[in-house]
Amino acid sequence: MKAVILAAGEGMRLRPLTVSEPKVMIPVANRPILEYVIDSLVKNDVTDIVVVVGYRKERIMSHFEDGRKFGAKIEYVVQEKQLGNGHALFAAKDRLSGEFLVLPGDNVIDRRAVGDLLKAGACPSALVVESDNPSKYGVVTLERGAITSVHEKPSEMISNIILTGMYCLSDRIFQFIDRCIAEGEYGLSNAVQESLGEQPVTPVFSDGLWIDAVYPWDLLELNAAALENLAVRTAGKIESQVVLSGPVGIGEETIIRAGTTIYGPVLIGDGCEIGPNVTIFPSTSIGNSVTVEPYTVIKNSVLMSNCNIGAHSYLSHCLLGYGVKSQSHLMGAGSEAYVNIADEFFKVPHIGSILGEDTAFGTGVSIEPGTIVGAGCKVSSGARITRNLPNRALVT
Amino acid sequence: MCGIVGYAGRRAAQPILIESLKRLEYRGYDSAGIAVVGEDIQKGMQLFKSKGEIAVLESSMPEMKGSTGIAHTRWATQGKPTTVNAHPLADCTNRLAVVHNGIISNFMEVREDLLKSGHKFASETDTEVFAHLVESELKGDLVEAVRKALEKVEGTYTFAVVGAGYDEVVATRRESPLVVGLGDGENFIASDVTALLKYTNRVVYIQDGEVVRITRDSVSIVDEKGSKVEREPQKITWSLEDAEKGGYPHFMLKEIFDQPEAIHDSLLGRIETMEPEPFFQGNSFSNVKIVACGTSYHAGLVGKYIIEELARVPTTVQISSEYRYSPISRESPLVVLITQSGETADTLGAAREARKRGNKTIGIANVVGSAITREVDHVIYTRAGPEIGVAATKTFVTQLVALYLLAMELGMQNRSLTAQARRSMTSVLRNLPRDVQDVLNKADEIETLAKKYSSARDMFFIGRSINYPIALEGALKTKEISYIHGEGFPAGELKHGPLALISKDSPVVAVAVRDHTYEKMLGNISEVSARGSPVIAIGFEGDSELAKFADDVISIRQTPPMFSPVPVIVVLQLLAYYLAKERGCPIDKPRNIAKTVTVE
Repeated sequence: MKAVILAAGEGMRLRPLTVSEPKVMIPVANRPILEYVIDSLVKNDVTDIVVVVGYRKERIMSHFEDGRKFGAKIEYVVQEKQLGNGHALFAAKDRLSGEFLVLPGDNVIDRRAVGDLLKAGACPSALVVESDNPSKYGVVTLERGAITSVHEKPSEMISNIILTGMYCLSDRIFQFIDRCIAEGEYGLSNAVQESLGEQPVTPVFSDGLWIDAVYPWDLLELNAAALENLAVRTAGKIESQVVLSGPVGIGEETIIRAGTTIYGPVLIGDGCEIGPNVTIFPSTSIGNSVTVEPYTVIKNSVLMSNCNIGAHSYLSHCLLGYGVKSQSHLMGAGSEAYVNIADEFFKVPHIGSILGEDTAFGTGVSIEPGTIVGAGCKVSSGARITRNLPNRALVT
Repeated sequence: MCGIVGYAGRRAAQPILIESLKRLEYRGYDSAGIAVVGEDIQKGMQLFKSKGEIAVLESSMPEMKGSTGIAHTRWATQGKPTTVNAHPLADCTNRLAVVHNGIISNFMEVREDLLKSGHKFASETDTEVFAHLVESELKGDLVEAVRKALEKVEGTYTFAVVGAGYDEVVATRRESPLVVGLGDGENFIASDVTALLKYTNRVVYIQDGEVVRITRDSVSIVDEKGSKVEREPQKITWSLEDAEKGGYPHFMLKEIFDQPEAIHDSLLGRIETMEPEPFFQGNSFSNVKIVACGTSYHAGLVGKYIIEELARVPTTVQISSEYRYSPISRESPLVVLITQSGETADTLGAAREARKRGNKTIGIANVVGSAITREVDHVIYTRAGPEIGVAATKTFVTQLVALYLLAMELGMQNRSLTAQARRSMTSVLRNLPRDVQDVLNKADEIETLAKKYSSARDMFFIGRSINYPIALEGALKTKEISYIHGEGFPAGELKHGPLALISKDSPVVAVAVRDHTYEKMLGNISEVSARGSPVIAIGFEGDSELAKFADDVISIRQTPPMFSPVPVIVVLQLLAYYLAKERGCPIDKPRNIAKTVTVE
């Protein structure tokens, strides 16, 4: 069976981490989210894959190429305007016939989730889960083993069963998508709702892993979850008096300098330079070509490739985009905080700061927990940042 | 300049040869041909060739039975691109077929001799004499016949031969590439390893003068004198999928977008440690000579500025084919030879010449195990991965990376660069992938600009100092793929002549980053815009001044000016690409150009 992965969206609620790549390419334990999805398909012998791309499509195509490296055969279809996931699926219409799987590219799933959908052997069918927070999703009502209605992001409590966005569908869905698009509805759940009248959709429950990353702090959770399955591989050069405890993955040509202590699970990429005397706590992922200077402490954070963190810095529960640079004494503490995303405030139990790619900090900058600093900002020495900064802000 | 493949195995040779040949199509494509022999001796040798691309050959050829064969894609150097002159070429009996890459320099004399002894020639090519030579030497053993025939020819070549009744391919080389691929119950030869990757990643490189025989079960190599040679196979670590387009409309665009990764790979393992390379220890060089052709030559010109700045060593740059004409200097320079493929005949010749002159040599190459790596004292690999687009992009950028690393080594060695300065440069280098990514994020903006200027007939590129060679490279990219006449000048030279060419129909691309040349560049921009030329300026982000002078501005991230050529050239690559796309040009295979030039 063929599978379609919808990977065209930007992921606006994850800004500024999506400045140069789409949400599906954001690394979780140093692998793009989409890689987990493709992996789950391949492990279920679904290797014929169509990926619908759009926003920053080159990042996806450059990474996955024709799919051979991942054991799959990947074709790409471009959704020029990212109007909705139904519209995205419609873009792949010419590549699909009969029955096929549909998956969102931005949810981390494991092989069981895909396996359960396949095993159910029903088409059309939809993978559903129970959710504590159904109002963010498409909520369904069930009757006699069939979905009876779909409600997109309902304001009132209808049910706690939500659509994961994973389906087994047939090409008959396209007529319903077409009809919905004509009415200005671009979501796939709209089309599924439309189709219910003519064709029942079977709900498939799964106890497989399904995590949706909507907000930045979700990425920290995803990262921690992915690191739990860390297969330790230690390459590079480890100087004397380095303590590695628990699973610690270290990439090629990385140097861990003397006196550094790392408590796993921690994953460090290729070509990094860590230390001397750096301390890294769980559950931290560090990309490629990252330098961390002496006496810096990092806890439960994600540092993407090419970051450069100066001496005596402290980062806890932080997300650093690609190429964040800081001179010494960067303070990014984590605690309970209110985070402002698109003018909505979210209370997050434990969060540090989210730093957009290529932002540069002078020495001694301190950032309040829950603050989002845009991409390409320049922050002068001694600044204290207490509220969100847009991209390319200058703080003097 | 041509592509050669050969197969001996259990499967039908024809489809495998065509598939392999397609991988080499970028090398040239004015004609192509195939010859297959089978077990059935009576059937003889089956040969077919045609003018044009491989697709033409594929659609017009008859089905050929047999599991041994050779095929060729040609880019004419001798004789017109006609079907008759296409390879393979046969002997008088039509039982032998030969494909050839390179030039037989004494072919006129050999041809005379052969004509006298009664051989009949069908084509104007130098290759055909080899078919007749092998025919006259053939007394049973094909390898022996080829070896005897080789004694009579001079020049540079790769030959591959098949004969009716022989289930083997015999091949040989001199100063032209040849590689053997080892399969399971089948073996291959090719002029480039990309042709083989679909079938195997275990290869043996053949050296000058050696003759190799492949059959389905064996590979045997003999040297010039006929004694057996043993050689361990090597494993190719990059795979064919690296060479596939993966969703991009053209290899060139894919390769442009691959650049952040290519830079990362090129730097990996080279900047973390502070230990100098053994090669540089105890060697001090009073001057450097960089030798290269085409885009590599432009990298060399940038290298001159980098080496002079970081290592304070006077550096000259020379075109490979001109190097041998330069007088031997009293001081013995470090000679740096830059070639993407490592097989560029002119540069290989220069490497030998440099060695003859007793100079130390460094090669900068992308292909591991290629010819240049055996000709030099020290190799710096660029690790860009395979580059298929004829227009060099990621290999150019990684050549610059190699030159930064080389200059840093030289500077450390002669103490003009402190450990501290080196360390801060290391962090600038580490950030280069980000600077390039930032340009890639602006691809849409550059595409819009290209649409605006795509009808231009001429385009001029100007820059000063280290960005002057970048202007040359931008012009080269533009002309080779978009067929717009592009020319690069040092901005200060405009007033000494080129200004006469400038008109409102000839856009000028000016590199104006904030370095010591900035004020002068603004002057040059005013100079051309006063004459009505639209100006596209490339400057640093946040430079509001530039917009007052230029019609369009593309911003790059601020970097130390010495490193600005890297993001700037990516802007110019994208500009050239989108201009070509807008004009509907065959981007990956521009007319009359081959990727690897293995003839002098």
